[in-house]
Amino acid sequence: MPLIDMPEFSADLLAEFAARRAERVNTPVIQPAEPFLDMAGEDLRRRIFLTESETGANLCLRPEFTIPVCLRHIETATGTPRRYSYLGEVFRQRREGAHEFYQAGIEDLGDKDTASADARAIGDAFGVLKTVLPGRKLTLTLGDQAVFEAVVKALGLPFGWQRRLIHAFGDMAHLEALLDRLAKPQAVAGLDPEIAALIASGNEAELVARIDATMQETGYSTNASRSPTEIARRLKEKLELAETRLDGTALLLLREFLTLQLPLADAPAALAGFADAADLKLGPAIAMFDARLAALANAGADLSAMTYRAAFGRPLDYYTGLVFEVTEAGSTAVLAGGGRFDRLMTLLGAKELIPAVGFSLWLDRLEAARARR
Amino acid sequence: MSVITIALPSKGRIKEDTAVIFERAGLAISAVGNDRSYRGRVDGIEGVEIAYLSASEIARELASGAVDFGVTGEDLVREGMPGVDQKVEFCARLGFGHADVVVAVPEIWLDVETMADLGDVAADFRARHGRRLQIATKYWRLTQQFFSGSHGIQLYRIVESLGATEGAPAAGQADIIVDITSTGSTLRANHLKVLSDGVMLKSEACLVRARKPGHEEDPRIRQIVEAVRAAL
Repeated sequence: MPLIDMPEFSADLLAEFAARRAERVNTPVIQPAEPFLDMAGEDLRRRIFLTESETGANLCLRPEFTIPVCLRHIETATGTPRRYSYLGEVFRQRREGAHEFYQAGIEDLGDKDTASADARAIGDAFGVLKTVLPGRKLTLTLGDQAVFEAVVKALGLPFGWQRRLIHAFGDMAHLEALLDRLAKPQAVAGLDPEIAALIASGNEAELVARIDATMQETGYSTNASRSPTEIARRLKEKLELAETRLDGTALLLLREFLTLQLPLADAPAALAGFADAADLKLGPAIAMFDARLAALANAGADLSAMTYRAAFGRPLDYYTGLVFEVTEAGSTAVLAGGGRFDRLMTLLGAKELIPAVGFSLWLDRLEAARARR
Repeated sequence: MSVITIALPSKGRIKEDTAVIFERAGLAISAVGNDRSYRGRVDGIEGVEIAYLSASEIARELASGAVDFGVTGEDLVREGMPGVDQKVEFCARLGFGHADVVVAVPEIWLDVETMADLGDVAADFRARHGRRLQIATKYWRLTQQFFSGSHGIQLYRIVESLGATEGAPAAGQADIIVDITSTGSTLRANHLKVLSDGVMLKSEACLVRARKPGHEEDPRIRQIVEAVRAAL
């Protein structure tokens, strides 16, 4: 790769990655678009550069590295654990900043010791940034979806409601709307009385048969999309969930949890205190949180630069636990973003569960930060 | 004095309805060349030309600023450009060409009446079916704004549909649709229902101005807008 357009500190980054035993890989700039749209959702469509091949396949300019690196790992069928690094251009339509810019990062695939892999990802991101921005004060914000999941479970909500809340984690507006619904449940209106009676009597077979018959009559396939059974079961679940009311105390607890923001070193005590006061059993999620913190401390990480924010997450279904962002103190520009995405590899087609954690550096923002002094 | 170009629909009912409004507004149009010409001029105001284009071309020409005014459906303008309100001004709603852009699902989805229901279905669609929920539409931008922006629904896929969108669910090309409807009869005929909070946009034909430099000082711009507004 020609070095001429690359940020001047690229060689330092590559040296850091090599010292951290992450094998450098490259991926084609032109990528099939489907995996990105499938994983990140249609929101990405307006932010990537899409084109079509002569045969009609959707292609795009590489908008990020995690998915191509993971796909490459699956295709090359090399075993785990593996640590990959990358440095190259990505392409996005942005309101501010250039449409093409460099990203670099590490993906850590297959390490089953998640606490230490998490700590290593944070340590790597922090360490690499420190060599590129020597003497700067960096701050890290950390979130953990697993802790939120544990709180939601411990509140004793029906499974359907847990799933809704967990799915919305990281999207505060959506989460607030769900909490409002939990505070003021509204009965399902407009249901055909005959259908309502079938559900009340618990006669699922009859309900499924009716849905099936209607689908046949109206020319809808019963297996191409949602099946009669799926519709019947969700209807029943919906009626149950509509009646769920979270009492004022529980709602207050959930809101209180979401406002937690404190130095990372104080987080275990605060979470334990919260669980005690609320009489919630948060068990393994807290143990994992504490183990990660211990691993960070053991590795000599600067905990005083790290903040835990309970509501911090990413509303995409492949993120599972840790998320983090690094900024320079006093600035909002995210220099590094990372997290754990244990569900991504299987979503992309891996045959077995491969735990994964990684981070990405925004080299254009790093250049800007270096230029500021 | 620079030429002001107004793009008007070149065919169909919307062309006739537009002509009626322009006549009532005192903006009589004479054809340049023969009757079947695609260009005209407004009598009585100097330097105002008419270009007859298809409705979707009008939206595109407004986005690029190639024309000063256009008459076309709000749906096409909003779909056709990002940051629409910075680029154009909706000067007048003309009272014809009504069409709602709606989210419609199969009637037999008895459990889905609201966008929140659809959010639940989309969230675990992949786990159940090995693929994301698919939406057939030609309105990918409006769909994305409505689903992601207003309802926190991220996980779905758009299947671009260039016509007969309402047939896509029964044909197995998509699970649900986003499309325009005026009376709802086409949706009903295809056993689809509109979600109770699934009206994304209540569209109609509009007089739209491209925000271009020079418009502020040009009295003809105000004259045209006020004449059309007075004719409604």
